[in-house]
Amino acid sequence: MKKHLWLLFLCLYSLPVFAGDANELFYALRTKVLSVKDYTADVKMKIDVTYMRIPELKGTLYFKSPDKLRLERHGGLSVFPKKNINLTLVNLIPAGQVMVLDMGYATRAGKKERILKVVPEDDQSNIVLSKIWVDEENMLALRTETTTRNDGTVIMDLEFGNYIPYALPDKVTILMDVKDYKLPKGMAMDYISENEVESKAKASKGTKGSIQITYLKYAVNTGLSDNIFKLKGRNEEEN
Amino acid sequence: MIQLLRIELYKIFKRPRTYISFGIMTAITFVIQLAMLTDGKTFIGFAMQGINEQFDIQGNILNGYLVTYIILQSLLVQIPLLVALVAGDSLTGEANLGTLRLLLTKPITRPKLVLIKFFSSFIYTVLLIIWLAIVALFFSLLLFGKGDMINLKSETFIMIMQNDVMWRYAAAFGYAVLAMTTIASLALLLSAFADNSIGPIISTMGIVVVLTILSNLQIPLFNHIKPYLFTTHTIGWKGFFDEPVPYAAIARSAMVLILYTLGFLVTTIFYFNRKDIKS
Amino acid sequence: METIIETRNLSKSFKGIKAVDGISFAIGHGDVCGFLGQNGAGKSTIMRMLLGLIYPDSGSIFINGTEFGNHRRYLLKNVGAIIERPDMYGYLSGWDNLKIFAALSDMKIPAARLHEVLEIVGLKGREKDKVKGYSQGMKQRLGIAIAMVHKPDLLILDEPTNGLDPQGIAEMRALLISLSKDHGKTILISSHLLVEIEQIATSMLIIHKGRKVVEGPVNKLLHPDDSLVEVIIRADSSAVGRLSLSQWQKYLHSTEDTVLTFKMNPGNAPALNKWLVGENIDVLEIRSKHSLEEYFLSLTNDTIIKDRAI
Repeated sequence: MKKHLWLLFLCLYSLPVFAGDANELFYALRTKVLSVKDYTADVKMKIDVTYMRIPELKGTLYFKSPDKLRLERHGGLSVFPKKNINLTLVNLIPAGQVMVLDMGYATRAGKKERILKVVPEDDQSNIVLSKIWVDEENMLALRTETTTRNDGTVIMDLEFGNYIPYALPDKVTILMDVKDYKLPKGMAMDYISENEVESKAKASKGTKGSIQITYLKYAVNTGLSDNIFKLKGRNEEEN
Repeated sequence: MIQLLRIELYKIFKRPRTYISFGIMTAITFVIQLAMLTDGKTFIGFAMQGINEQFDIQGNILNGYLVTYIILQSLLVQIPLLVALVAGDSLTGEANLGTLRLLLTKPITRPKLVLIKFFSSFIYTVLLIIWLAIVALFFSLLLFGKGDMINLKSETFIMIMQNDVMWRYAAAFGYAVLAMTTIASLALLLSAFADNSIGPIISTMGIVVVLTILSNLQIPLFNHIKPYLFTTHTIGWKGFFDEPVPYAAIARSAMVLILYTLGFLVTTIFYFNRKDIKS
Repeated sequence: METIIETRNLSKSFKGIKAVDGISFAIGHGDVCGFLGQNGAGKSTIMRMLLGLIYPDSGSIFINGTEFGNHRRYLLKNVGAIIERPDMYGYLSGWDNLKIFAALSDMKIPAARLHEVLEIVGLKGREKDKVKGYSQGMKQRLGIAIAMVHKPDLLILDEPTNGLDPQGIAEMRALLISLSKDHGKTILISSHLLVEIEQIATSMLIIHKGRKVVEGPVNKLLHPDDSLVEVIIRADSSAVGRLSLSQWQKYLHSTEDTVLTFKMNPGNAPALNKWLVGENIDVLEIRSKHSLEEYFLSLTNDTIIKDRAI
């Protein structure tokens, strides 16, 4: 694996780099992002995966740095992608020592953004490579494209508005790879309707899924207790 | 007609056998609820394997709504038997008792008698389903609590908000009444042909089981006939737990069931009207 | 006399076997018609056809002059029936059974009438008991109550004395006589107890192997002069010789050892007895044999199957 990484580094070094600047920019960005120790936010979550039909979920999202996250739906179910594809920026920005590559500027939707490629030096990290589109003026990550070891590539688009000082987005769209899902026929005993035909057609088209989270209101750094993250649904409680 | 129907219902509900059906259904429901209480998580874990690989679903998944759905799905095989127990016995039961000949020496036409038997079986079916709604839904909610409902289809994972579930159950139970009425009319038809009670009950079950297997077999040969089998449509209640609800498909299925019911009923009337009563 | 039931050429086959073969008969208003035939002769089939339970292959039935086929419902309002056994809902009380079948008679029947018929059939006080606990006799009586509760003019009773003990049979006989005499009911009754029929029937219909053998008023069919009188004597080798020379010779029907059978009016028996005693022939017993039984057996003997309607 290490051998491959070195190869990758070799390739990356051959590109034009502004290592000093980029490093500063990344660490500044990471410091800003990490300045939020916890938050509570009212959210609306929309999951768009071909085989999933989930209505818009409303609830309260609790976050505590570095990786505690919980969606409270007041008796309802919460649906998250598996833990290692996290929904917050913190988890998509590599931690620890990293190697930052400056990929220059690009214009997206009329906005000039600086692109950084970040490679964690810890080769145990689930993140292999992270590409970050940065709004230098506001010191915000507007997009990340993270290649993970086990969970494919996760793209996160962020829109900011009211919580720029905390680098907390108003809206996040996460694009990720999803695998097919199938339940043995005998177990489901489906009622076959035209929905089935439709979904089969859709399923064969692609295996990308997206999750859109709209943050309505944040309460930042209120010193959330760890207990909040232990309160889970009835099933988990019993475990 | 109302008076005759009242008499018929009086006869049905004065008979201890009638309550056995309610008892059986209650027992099966409680057994499933007990199984879910003790081993539900393993069951859910197994069913959710595919989803859990990629998603983390937290909260009260095994809630009353899901348990009710599991009960309904499991009772698919039993309810037709319980309905057949009464409907299949409605004409042959009288023949066995010897009361059919006495009934028919009264100034009541045979088509009317068949209609009364049909409507009383229908009312019995309605009451059976209402009872099912009470024991399955009410007790499951009591034991397992509320929550958003998940519905695992073979290729789709559906999640329904808890405040969006109840109307679906109301519709599903309504649809179940229609489906079971079709079974009742089949049992009634067989009851007109037979001279003993066991025959129509067993035949009804036999037909339902065989056709259900055909409806579920994934063999291209049967795909052409599937839409014409009533058993393909008896599970139409599940459509109400789909998203979006396939109203057109449900309406078509309901129409097929109605046509079958009317077909069975008209055949019963026609045949019974010409039948010599030798019992 | 005005007829209440009339059939014309009634025929019915089951699986190719003729059960009823072109039977025509008529029963007058107020008659108690004894309907006789061996087991399998077609009695039940005919009774079921009269009640619309079995459809004839051909022929027609008229009740009160109206053809049955299209007016079944209307005509059955005026008919009460017991076919074979009076089976009822065993899990219900006698009262419930009576009430149910009364309600099916398409007319409003007050509770007082239910009490009245229960009184008539002698079930008062037991009406709240479940029918499954009734004896056969009680069921038969409840059957009669059900048959008559709506005051029909015509009662069709298939073996109503089946399963009754001698006292029950006597009670049933009295009830039927009363229904006929006091209430003017027309009764078509089948029974294998010929003695009973003999005692209550005013007319008779005898069928054999699906065909009518005879029908007519009892007093015409069973003339007293046709009765059989059996005399049992002590063995006397000359007795038969002396008899054949006497005026009793013309009545002598048959002789067998010590049993001499005469076909004559039983009223002549005392005179015959006197003559026998005068001839020193020891008489051990004189008995009049049931005429109907003899008559029935003679008619249903396989060799005599021809229409002998009167």
